[in-house]
Amino acid sequence: MTTTQKLPAIRGVHNAPLEEFYTSGHRTCQGCESALVMKLMIKAAGPRTVVLGSTGCMYVANTTYYSTPWVVPWMHTQLGSSGSAATGAAAGLKALMKKGKMKEEPINVISFCGDGGGADMGLSAISASLTHPEYNHLVLMYDNESYANTDIQVSGSSPWGAHTSFSPPGKARRIMHDRWKKNTAAMLAHGHPKSRYIATGCASYAVDLLNKVRRALTLGGPTFIHSFDPCPKGWDYDPRYSHELGMLAVETGLWVQWEIEDGVLRYSGPSRMIAIGRRKRKPIVEYLKRQGRFAHFTEEDIAYFQSQVDEIWEKWGTPGVSSVKLDLKGDRA
Amino acid sequence: MTTYAVEVVYRGIFQRTLSRNICRGIVLAAHKGGKIGTAFGRYGDSPERNGIPAKYFAVVADDQLELEESLAKYEPKEVDVTICVDDTLCKGVESWAWYGLQPINALTKEGGALLVTSKQAADALLEDIHRKGMPYRLAIVSGPASFSGLWVYKDDHTDVRILGALARVCPGLVSMEAYEQVIQEIWSNEAKVRSARRSYDQTRVRPVEPAEGNTSVPFSFTKPGWTQMREALTIVGVPQGAGFRGGQGGFQPARSEVFKKFSTRTMRPIVNFQTCTKCTLCWLQCPDSCFDVTPDGRYDANLEACCGCGVCADVCPVADCVTMVNEAHFNDNSSQYDWFQRDKDGYLRWLTETVAQQKGEQRSHGFHHWGQYKEEIAAAAAASEAGHDN
Amino acid sequence: MTTRTAEEAPVAGREELISGSEAIAQACALADIDVVTAYPIRPYDTVMQFLSRLIADGALKCEFIVAESEHSQFEIVKHASAVGARTFVGSSGVGWFYALEAIAVTAGLRLPVVALVGNRALDDPGAFGCEHNDALAVRDLGWLMNWVSTGQEALDTALIAWRVAEDPRVFLPCAISADGAFLTHSQQIVRVPDKRLVDRFLPPYNRGDLQLHPDNPITIAPQVNEDWLMEMRKQTDAAMRRSRDVIIEAYLDFNRIFHRDLTPFTEEYMTEDAEVILVGVGTLALPIKVAVRRLREQGQKVGFLRLKWFRPFPMPEVQKALSKAKAVGVIDRDYSFGSPMHGGVLAHEVRSALYDVEPRVPVVNFVAGLGGREITQPFAREMFAITQQAAQSGASDTQTHWIGVRENQE
Repeated sequence: MTTTQKLPAIRGVHNAPLEEFYTSGHRTCQGCESALVMKLMIKAAGPRTVVLGSTGCMYVANTTYYSTPWVVPWMHTQLGSSGSAATGAAAGLKALMKKGKMKEEPINVISFCGDGGGADMGLSAISASLTHPEYNHLVLMYDNESYANTDIQVSGSSPWGAHTSFSPPGKARRIMHDRWKKNTAAMLAHGHPKSRYIATGCASYAVDLLNKVRRALTLGGPTFIHSFDPCPKGWDYDPRYSHELGMLAVETGLWVQWEIEDGVLRYSGPSRMIAIGRRKRKPIVEYLKRQGRFAHFTEEDIAYFQSQVDEIWEKWGTPGVSSVKLDLKGDRA
Repeated sequence: MTTYAVEVVYRGIFQRTLSRNICRGIVLAAHKGGKIGTAFGRYGDSPERNGIPAKYFAVVADDQLELEESLAKYEPKEVDVTICVDDTLCKGVESWAWYGLQPINALTKEGGALLVTSKQAADALLEDIHRKGMPYRLAIVSGPASFSGLWVYKDDHTDVRILGALARVCPGLVSMEAYEQVIQEIWSNEAKVRSARRSYDQTRVRPVEPAEGNTSVPFSFTKPGWTQMREALTIVGVPQGAGFRGGQGGFQPARSEVFKKFSTRTMRPIVNFQTCTKCTLCWLQCPDSCFDVTPDGRYDANLEACCGCGVCADVCPVADCVTMVNEAHFNDNSSQYDWFQRDKDGYLRWLTETVAQQKGEQRSHGFHHWGQYKEEIAAAAAASEAGHDN
Repeated sequence: MTTRTAEEAPVAGREELISGSEAIAQACALADIDVVTAYPIRPYDTVMQFLSRLIADGALKCEFIVAESEHSQFEIVKHASAVGARTFVGSSGVGWFYALEAIAVTAGLRLPVVALVGNRALDDPGAFGCEHNDALAVRDLGWLMNWVSTGQEALDTALIAWRVAEDPRVFLPCAISADGAFLTHSQQIVRVPDKRLVDRFLPPYNRGDLQLHPDNPITIAPQVNEDWLMEMRKQTDAAMRRSRDVIIEAYLDFNRIFHRDLTPFTEEYMTEDAEVILVGVGTLALPIKVAVRRLREQGQKVGFLRLKWFRPFPMPEVQKALSKAKAVGVIDRDYSFGSPMHGGVLAHEVRSALYDVEPRVPVVNFVAGLGGREITQPFAREMFAITQQAAQSGASDTQTHWIGVRENQE
């Protein structure tokens, strides 16, 4: 593994770097939390970074030809290719430096994708990228819970029951989307022992997210962060509440903040407080009722949703991370 | 042989259903009168973004052949009526599909009409609306801009009130009776029919002289040719920023020279620099990196970069330090911090007055909680039935 | 162009008995590629087997990445190329199609990736044999394309491919097609040139101000609308047009440095006075040339034109070689179902190239050798005979003849 940039942890908001490497020029929605993730991601990484961006909102709305918000070099990559893009750029840089064709220095490679590009289409390429300890890169999946750029169609990461343009509540079927897949990061963490750092994050907890990006880049090798991004357009809420919605998701226990470094799992912030029993989860309805995409929910739907959140905390082997439980009592036979 | 074209200029997502309802209402009502038409959103504006200006069109003709004549164009190049459903768009339209600021009346025909939903008076609107250089007419549907999100529609009758006003300003297009018939068919709601009729009765048309209007020249952008463009689909990135106002201390990001958010905003943050605790949150949580960091650790909203989302006001822990106010009252993007430095007392006086004055006219950006629109509509409907404009 | 000087005296290199795939692998080592990505599919992947051996033995230092799909394979080299690495990749048949999205954008991004297409029939049904529809799928996208017919030509062409693709006037990817089995798997004596000569021929890849690197903060491929895309397509068009002169320059330099005598775009075989000329690409040159010789022995004025480059299409060479013929027969190892002549891709292109030639030359189309079926001497003679009839009638025969397709046995 070539050396990495040593990016120290930021102690408190007042120590966040002033420099911006993702600035104005993007045309994202008002209150776009994914745009904030971009800003924080690159603020943490700094100027000696190349960023690769999969198709999605953070492509189309960010870089509209002739203007760009990126101060650092940035390149579009295909929808399912965030993993391959990271591998390719990191491998290219490594080869050129090793062979003396390029000045040797640690350059951060960050590749991002949305939930469609990461949790759906691009999963196999991300998985492959996490098996290459010789390349340093971070894949960041910004999860706004739908194919938000194309018109808010349901993705594998959309929450149960959400109104999307592929899952409209109707007369015959109130709930058109009844799948549940939220722990992409945990899924990746469990099968890729050579990845030294996999985490979840949310821009509402900005310093935590900054430090997770820094930790991933500093440890090096292939790393992955899954961020939870409230989307005012697709979730249907007033954009000024993006920050609040992110906090509510964590405080209700729907979104669990954690990091796995060298095989050790640690919860972060409020999720840790919930996990150690120092804080009670808020009822999920406080989160649901703030969004138009759940406006068709009945009491029964709310109860079901609550039961699913309860389950990940009360029934899973590792709360909020892995549903697998250990049974050493013997095999079933 | 007459073809009518109507455009609705609206705030992306927030007013999508509203604009669609208006344009569909026009075409369906015209069809009642034996005409044929089409309604469509401008493809170049999609995918729509919350708050970013977009357009919807309705084109109506006497017969199919005539309709095809006008549809041979990608979109109408001139319209009989421009409907502006948010008066902050009177400052101009900067779609995400193009560079530069298009005057709101750019497509309005000579003698055509501009129909605006606003609580402002015509003279105040004409301070924003660019000078057309030819006569046209201005009509106002009195009321706030109706905003809601993608899934839950705030049915506050704005759609039918526009249709009623349209029957007044463009009687040749569709008769009031046809609108009433269609409104009843679509919504089965007598109250909506009454709202439309009331709007028809109340709408007054004000002629606009060629020389009237905002004389400033809107930002325009000349597109380079193919040999002037960089090869391999590349553009130069944004330069690195530097200290506040280019000096020592603080930080001011470099920003896009060609996309300045001329008309992305419906509200803007105003900052009380005196009560600011320098907590950093407005700056850190702003998705648009719009805050310049001053050498003394305060945060100055750079209004060429602010899209008016309101996150800064929401995260600010100090009451009334960052307040979102109606963009309609502003005519420039000058720095609040510079003013504060120049004239502390004058700035704070203005701030206090502006915050107080705007308390009553808080604009809405959509959904806050289940049932909210019902509460708001009930209040507005009661006022409306009582004969008030809201 | 410079003339030959004493200091550029030939450096011998070495002769080896190697397959077409192995020849390309040798070219990769000579070109000192930086990143290569592999994914298994027959028959192209023999090149990756040889490359992995070269790397394992230390003959080539580069990043060898086994991707988890063809799509990733092509995306990885695309990004490696963007940061300035010289790259090599390849695929066959449906594998090439699985990567098609990445293949399309590589051309759009003007990235000089060099790929080997080991031509293979497309599924379904699964078939390993040679057809050209895989490579031809990208003919409109901005890929430079050529077909090689021998191991030597494979090696030579690969070196030329990087030189042309990486020329800043071009910056387009290049697909080298090699017929599956016939070339990828058969071994021939190939002269492998000395690395010092290759270094003289092939300058380092320098992406200049298009490189993705922190020292060059650019944004690559931002989203565009109708206001911009046509101008970008025009730029790619201009690059493809410019590539013609760059190819000619490369062959002149190649011949000078390696003391060879290659023609850049086409190989003409006894076409000078030929009345009937068959046209084709790839390894079918071998049986057709044999047939030409035999028919010549019988006094028939026949010839063969092999297209080495397909994109850019060698319009002047094709017109010049064919304009004096009385009839031309085009052999397609591909199909274009429902096309104007219900024939193949190549025939339609040749016919189009001859449209303005006076007097217009009749064109006949043959579909032959699909699925790796051998093009035998009887088949070759049959094609010459049918073309001869067109020469006599003076009119094109537009029905398209499937040569060697099995009819019902009576």
